[in-house]
This record gives sequence, structure tokens and C-alpha cells, in this order.
Amino acid sequence: MPDHAHTPHAPFQRKEDRRLVTGHGLYTSDRTFPGELHAVFLRSDRAHAQIVSIKTDAAKAMPGVHGVFTAEDSKAAGMVKVMCMLALKGTDGEPPRVPARSAFADGCVRFVGETVAMVVADSVAAGLDALEAIEVEYRELPHVVDASRALDAGAPVIHDAAPGNLCWVGEAGDRAAVDAAMAAAATVIELSVESTRVIPSPMELRCCAATYDAANDHYHVYSVTQGVNAMRIQIAFAAGIPENKLTIHAQDVGGSFGNRSPHYPEHCAVMLAAKVLGRPVRWAGTRSECLASDYHGRGNQIAGKLAIDKDGHFTAIQLDWVADMGAFITPAGIASHTRNPVVLLSGVYRIPAMHGRWRAVFTNTSPIAPYRGAGRPDVNYMIERLVDEAAAKLGMDPADLRRRNALGLGQFPYKTPTGTTYEATDVPGSLEKAVRLADWKGFPARRAEAKARGMLRGIGMATFIENTGAGVFPKDQVDIEVDANGMVHAYSVAHAQGQGHETTFTQVIADAMGIDTANVLLHEGSPEHTLIGNHTGGSRSLVGAGSVCKLAGLKLIEVAKSAAAAMFDTEPSQVDYAAGTLTDRVSGKSTTLAELARRPEGLKTQAEASIGSTFPTGCHIAEVEIDPLTGTTEILSYVAVDDCGHAVDHTIVEGQVHGGVLQGVGQVFAEKAIYDEETGQLMTGSFMDYTMPRAGMLKHIVIDENCIPSKINSLGAKGVGEAGCTGSLSALSNAMADALRPLGVPPMDMPFTSNRVWHAIAAAGGLK
Amino acid sequence: MYEFEYVRPKSVAEAAGFLAANTDARLMSGGMTLLPTMKQRLAQASHLVHVGPLAELKSIAREGDMLVVGSAATHDQVQDSEVVRAAIPALAKLARGIGDPQVRYMGTIGGSIANNDPAADYPAGVLGLGATVVTQLRQIAADDYFQGLFTTALGEGEIVTAVRFPVPRRAGYVKFGHPATGYAMSGVFVAETGSGVRVAVTGAGNGVFRWAEAEAALATSMSPKALDGLALDASHFSEDIHATREYRAQLCRVMAARAVNELLG
Repeated sequence: MPDHAHTPHAPFQRKEDRRLVTGHGLYTSDRTFPGELHAVFLRSDRAHAQIVSIKTDAAKAMPGVHGVFTAEDSKAAGMVKVMCMLALKGTDGEPPRVPARSAFADGCVRFVGETVAMVVADSVAAGLDALEAIEVEYRELPHVVDASRALDAGAPVIHDAAPGNLCWVGEAGDRAAVDAAMAAAATVIELSVESTRVIPSPMELRCCAATYDAANDHYHVYSVTQGVNAMRIQIAFAAGIPENKLTIHAQDVGGSFGNRSPHYPEHCAVMLAAKVLGRPVRWAGTRSECLASDYHGRGNQIAGKLAIDKDGHFTAIQLDWVADMGAFITPAGIASHTRNPVVLLSGVYRIPAMHGRWRAVFTNTSPIAPYRGAGRPDVNYMIERLVDEAAAKLGMDPADLRRRNALGLGQFPYKTPTGTTYEATDVPGSLEKAVRLADWKGFPARRAEAKARGMLRGIGMATFIENTGAGVFPKDQVDIEVDANGMVHAYSVAHAQGQGHETTFTQVIADAMGIDTANVLLHEGSPEHTLIGNHTGGSRSLVGAGSVCKLAGLKLIEVAKSAAAAMFDTEPSQVDYAAGTLTDRVSGKSTTLAELARRPEGLKTQAEASIGSTFPTGCHIAEVEIDPLTGTTEILSYVAVDDCGHAVDHTIVEGQVHGGVLQGVGQVFAEKAIYDEETGQLMTGSFMDYTMPRAGMLKHIVIDENCIPSKINSLGAKGVGEAGCTGSLSALSNAMADALRPLGVPPMDMPFTSNRVWHAIAAAGGLK
Repeated sequence: MYEFEYVRPKSVAEAAGFLAANTDARLMSGGMTLLPTMKQRLAQASHLVHVGPLAELKSIAREGDMLVVGSAATHDQVQDSEVVRAAIPALAKLARGIGDPQVRYMGTIGGSIANNDPAADYPAGVLGLGATVVTQLRQIAADDYFQGLFTTALGEGEIVTAVRFPVPRRAGYVKFGHPATGYAMSGVFVAETGSGVRVAVTGAGNGVFRWAEAEAALATSMSPKALDGLALDASHFSEDIHATREYRAQLCRVMAARAVNELLG
């Protein structure tokens, strides 16, 4: 059972849940607009083809159709750009090659699902009828859907601006030092893995709407989002308009996993139609549309080498990393699969020599964007699988090998050879706790018992460290004000998509102000509060906006003290504050926050802070059992011990870990976006073929904490939103490798579907 | 979804008459396959003739050594029917394993076998039990009824009204669920009937089929071991991103053995 002894709060139900689970949320598609029109998209049904012609006249003449739009229209409107947040020059001296991307495919389609044309009509049905009347003549071009093959000489070139399909190449670390260490090593472990391409599938389908205020030349865009600020700068950039001509509106968002942070072509498309037609235009994607055209996640092919000396100490690590970017750049796609792995190349270990090369590559597939962890689970997957293979080769207990190499509490702050400074954490302590909870020592007996039943049992461990998002904006601001009824309102531009900010942020403020959480309301993305601040992503929101909520609460008390002092005709230093009441220590006169708020000037303030990355860590242990007859796996136990710094609400932390781990289960056992090499078609284009994780796949999970508060934010919090994913890919895969190793199955990669596992067992000669 | 008219007939005869007069009309029972297909614009109909609510098609009754299930009996009805549970528990279990509760409240046995999805459960039960499919025109033996991928012996405008199952001595059904959909990736129905042992396989190929070698072996010895090393024609099996032919054949063997165990209790 989790240890709640050190928490100041008992777990309680999330504040937002009553609204969200009783149908009282306000999601983008819940909004209606007087005079609205509906947009539907014609999407490419081929991987790579030249568009010879598009005939739209028949569609335009269909009943209920108000307009048909193609690249000609979006180009004329100047909507031709994609934002790229990485400007760094690569080792070839070149910055990322960022091909132009219009709202609609311009002369060429480059992946199945790419927007080709849009019909705007009175109804979705009328629009769909008209879509069928659009004639597109294509001339097929050769395609490539695999990133490594896209780098081969002679591979089809997807963008003229990116010869060899190379988008960016960079290196980090000291190659010569690594070469020397590898040459001197007692053991070198080599392994190639793929963190498979997955399709983030939030429950809320992607959707957006736009209205255009001609009098003020101003757009209003309603969209799923992870934060209105980041969305505004991206869409304004893509649409070629000033940021102050665009307002983003969003209230409730039903999941994101990184997928709702980037701008999409559909944003510009509905804006264009709203302006041209002078009517509100809305679009709601179908699941199949979203599977094909939502930006995908992961898609990293990594070759790794780990050097070990005769005493079992790691001496060098080297990675060669191919990051699939899909057919176009997404704003944070390159950075998340290059920068994050560089930051974390050392894992939780002391490794003196490190080097890696990263190549970002174009393929004829849906573009890749950050997905829960954004490169962190991927690099951890590589490192931790190397460590387990090393333990197997050396005949060591994988826990002992980690004990020998993990950074101890006394070694922080630790600067890695690639320049990252890790903040203090206690991985060895988390490991010992996890080992106890998982009964690591008792495993051999359990394995023997399973073997007697004809089953293959395995146990796997992962230790990990992450850098939580440093933020795109230079600081996070929070507005706080008290209304005439004494209700405290906080405003932030972090944006929950399921994280429970209304629970945690209001609790932070209530704690800071000594008031009940029922008297605090959180508003996110409010257009009236134009704040500087970051979107929710990279496990950053509690660390950033959340910790500023604490500062805002404390600052509001000081503002209230000054106001009360003026009222009492005394010095602020003479005013005591407790639980919403301010008292003059000398006269005994008192007032309340509500009373001060009723003054003409009100009671409000703004707080801000610049907060970088925190470094949460953890140790996860998974135990699995494989039925060799069918290749199916049951996860028998999962233990997660995390250092998330100061936990504001343990229920929320547990929810994040549960969700992250189950998302890892999905990637490890089920999910994989598959494009057919021959046709370039997306084979997993619906939930009939794309296997989502099910609740029953993980029946039991034990969660515990081993927290060292962060020193970089006022709460001491470290981000925990992605930890579950980062730990679980490695722990589960190591458990599978452990179960299969006695049969002589060579290190197998994800996804461990029953079909693949059975074949791996059969190829190794079956049960022995 | 394309536009269509919704028609609710008061009897099978009226439905048959309407279908005869409107060649682009489609019969709908539970709509659990037809409606999603229409929503995807993959199917189109001038009318949907909804026979699902007809009381005359919903009855479940024991008639001597036969279990008679009306074609509009829902999976939910079958799974919970005391009559079915007493007569053929394996059939109740089969119904309980179809889709999810929402599907089981709407989907019907008649709809399932009229559609004859190669991964549906009911075809295995109907063929495995040697049932008879009753229409408004005739009776069709299961061995003649299923004719491969989404194909049956039904003629134009022919409406399934009931399925007559001979009550077996013992039966068992075990399926391996498709990872994404839960449909049978391999489902095997084994029955010990008055006319011999029958083994029907669904989900593995282009349509439900009988595994003759297994039937012969189990007739000699009703035990999982009897299945060891039996020939299994790989051409029956399909291959896709989820499973190879070899893997589907393996699943068929394992599910058959498990179905025998279930039959044995």
C-alpha cells in the first residue's frame, strides 16, 4: 500500500470530476456558433504522389456547399509555414531543413491522410457528399515509410529541400573518449532497439472551429490544446498573421499526451474559410481521420553500445539514433527526439565517456510530435535494455549491476559528460524500496513454480531519470484575485487535459493562504487574462504554473496586508493574516479578504517565476508470465517507486503513474502504427486494427514514493506526468527478455504481441 | 452515412414483401455491423427494414431435443436464457463472449449468421452443433448454409427467422480474442452430438469451417491429447498484421484442446 504518512492531505476526489463525468464539461465540439458551417476534409489516400489536377467545380455546385478550398487558396492567404522550435545548427553546419507546408497539400501529397481539399457546407453530410464529387488526378511517386531505409542511397526523396531525406544531424559527447573506452573495455554490449511509432489517441477527437471578426481583422480559434499561449504563437506563425490578431479559446480538453500541443493544417483551413465565407466554421475529426493525421509519437530506431570494465563499472555509452520525423516537421518534433536524449544520455549512472549521433529523417508517414515523455522513455528504453543485457552477459543480478553504477545521493548535483546537471535524487533508495515491494529475492522460486505449470515467468527492472520541460516561454505568470464574495480566483495559461489542475493548483493556493479549497477556483486559458506562461507538457505544470500559484497566494496575502493596513491606519507589519482574516495587532480591528475585494480597487495581484527543468527519477519492477502455447503475456505485478519531489496530492500522483504505466503497457504489448512498405498505406487506420491498451492488461500496480524535494521551485515538486511511461517501457520489456532468455530467445524488441512472442519462442526451438 | 428511410414492418411477411418491392432496401436486425458500415459510407440502402423488434422472432424455446432460438434474439437474451443454459451451456457462453454489453443488447443471432463475418462467434456454434437455419421459405442445414467470407445460402429477400439447434450431449467453445477488437482470431466449437463429434473453427480464415481430422480423432477419444499432431490445412488460415498463418493454426490447435477440456467439464 502507498505510504501516505508524510502527506499533509488525505486523498480526495478531484474537483473537476463531477463536471467532467456528468456531461457538464465544455469541450471544443460542445460549442455551437450562430450561423456555423461545417468543414470536412479530402485526405490523401496515397503515400507519395504528384497532384496533377484537382477539379472542384462539381463539388462547389452541390446543394448546401458554401466553398471548396485547396492549396491555391491557402497559399494565396499566406498560410504556408510550419513552426520549428529547434534552430540549432547540426554537425553538418545546417539548421533543421523545414519544408514549407500549406494548409493543403501543394502539388504533391506526402503521406496517407494529408489534407488535400476542404468542403465547407451547411452540414457534415452535405460536405461528405460534395467531397465525393472532387476529382484529384495523382501521378504516383515512389515512397519510403521506414526511417532507416529513407537514409539509404537511392531512397525516394520526399522534399527537394532535404537531400537524402535528412532533416537534421547532430552529435553530442566525446567520440574519441568513447572509442578509447570501448577499446579498453572488458565487455561491450551492443543492442539495436526501436521505440515503435505509436498513435496517441486521446478520447476527445481532434477538432477546431474559427470565427473571423472582419471589423477588427481578428480571428477567434476554438481548439483542443495544451495551452492557449503556445497554440497562439504557432497558429499565428503558420497563418502569417500577427499574434495580436488571434485569440485561442479552450476550456475542457479530453486528453493530449503531447498530441494536442502542435498546430495543425486544419487550424489554418477553418480560419481561411471563416474569413472568406464570413461565417463560423467548425470541424470535428473522425477516429479514422485522427489515426491517420494526428501527429504520431516515438518512432525512434536506436543502436546502442555500453562498455563495462572488469569490475562491472560502466565506462562508456554510445548511441546512433534515427528519429523518424514523418513527412513534415512539427514544432517540437526534432527537439524532443534529439535534445532530450542528449540531456539524459547518462541515465541514472555515472558513465565517464558518452557519445551519440542523432539523425532526424523524413518519411512518407504522418508527422511525429512529442508523445508522453518525448524522447525520454525512448533513451531510457535503450539504456536500460543495454544494462539488462549486460547483467545477463556478466551473469550478474540486474539489481546489483545497477547498485554498482547508479549515482548515489551524495553525488549530486551531478554534471554529466554531455553537460546536464542532475538535481539531487535517491535512485539507490528507490531501487531498494522497489526490490522489497516486488519481492525480487523471491523471484527464482516463483519462476520455478511457473515453469512447473508450463509457463515462462520473467522479472524486469528499470531505473530512470527525466528532465521535465524547461518551458518555451521565459516565465510563468499567474493572476490571482478575490471577488466580492470572498472567492479566490486564479488564472493560468497551463491547460489541463486530464491532469487535475483544478484539484492541485487550488490546493496549493488554499495551503498558501490557509483557506479551504472550496473557496478557490482555477481558470485556465481565460482570454481576458493575457499572461506569459507555458502550456502543459513535459511534466511541467505543477513545477511551473503550480508553484507560481503558491507564490501568488503568498503575494496576495502581502497585498491584502497593505490594503488592510491602510484601512486600519497602521503599518502592514502590524497586520496579522490568518485564514482569510486580517487583524490589526494593536487595535484588534479586523477585516476579510472579501471586504478588501469590495473596495473600488479590488484585491488582486500577479505572481511569476522562471523555472527550468526538474529531474524526477524512479525504479519500476514488472513481473510477467508468458503462456508459450499462445504467446500471450500476463503482467502479474508492477511496482513503481518514484521521486516526484514534494507531492501535493498523492491521488493525482498515483493517477499519473497509473496512466503512464498503462500507456507504456500499450506501447510494449499492443500499440504500433504500421505502414505497409509496399503500398505506403496505414494498416492500423482504425480501432479494428490499432490495438489500444485495455484496463485489464494491468490488473494490479503498487505505487510508492521516495521523494527528495526539488530546490528549483517553491513547492519542491518534480514533474511526474511522464514517469510512468518512462519506467514502464524498460521494466516491462526487460521482464519479457528475462522470461524468454532461458529458451535462448535473442533480445526481442517491442511490441511483444502474442503473435510475435510465439514466433520468437518457436524460432528458438520452443520450450526446453 | 447516406440518407435512407427507416421502415418498421409489423411481421416477417410484411418485411419480405417490402424487400421484394424495394431492391435497394436492406434488412436490419440489431444493426451492429450494418450501421457502423453505413456510417463509414461503405454501405448504402434506400431503406432499412428493421425486423429486430419483431416479437415473433425473439422467442427462445426447447422443443423436444431441439433448442429453437428466434433470429432476433439478442446475444444478451441468449447468454442469460435459462432455457439455453440448461440445454447448451456452451452456446450461452459463446453469446456472453460477443462484443461488449452494448453490442450484446442490440446484436442478434440472425444478424450475425446472415452477415457471416469470418471472425464472428455464432457461425462456429451453428456449424459446430449441426444446427438448421430456418427462413420464411425453407430450412437450411448449417453445412450448406455457410459459404465463406460474408457469403451464405440465403437468397434475395430471404429472411432468417430462427435457428434450430439439436441439443448435444456435451459441447465446449473457446476463442482467442483479436487483440484490437475482441473478435475471434481463432474460435473452436466442439460438440458431441447424436450424429457424431463436430468441430467448427471460426476467425482463422475466410469463413467458418469444420476440422475433419479433429472430429475423427475426438470421436475415437474425447481428450485434448487426441488432437496432438493432427493435420490442419494451413490454407484455411488467413494472414495479416496481427497474426501469421502458422500462428492462427497454432491458436486453432490450442483453442480446440481448451474447448475439449471445457466440453469434458
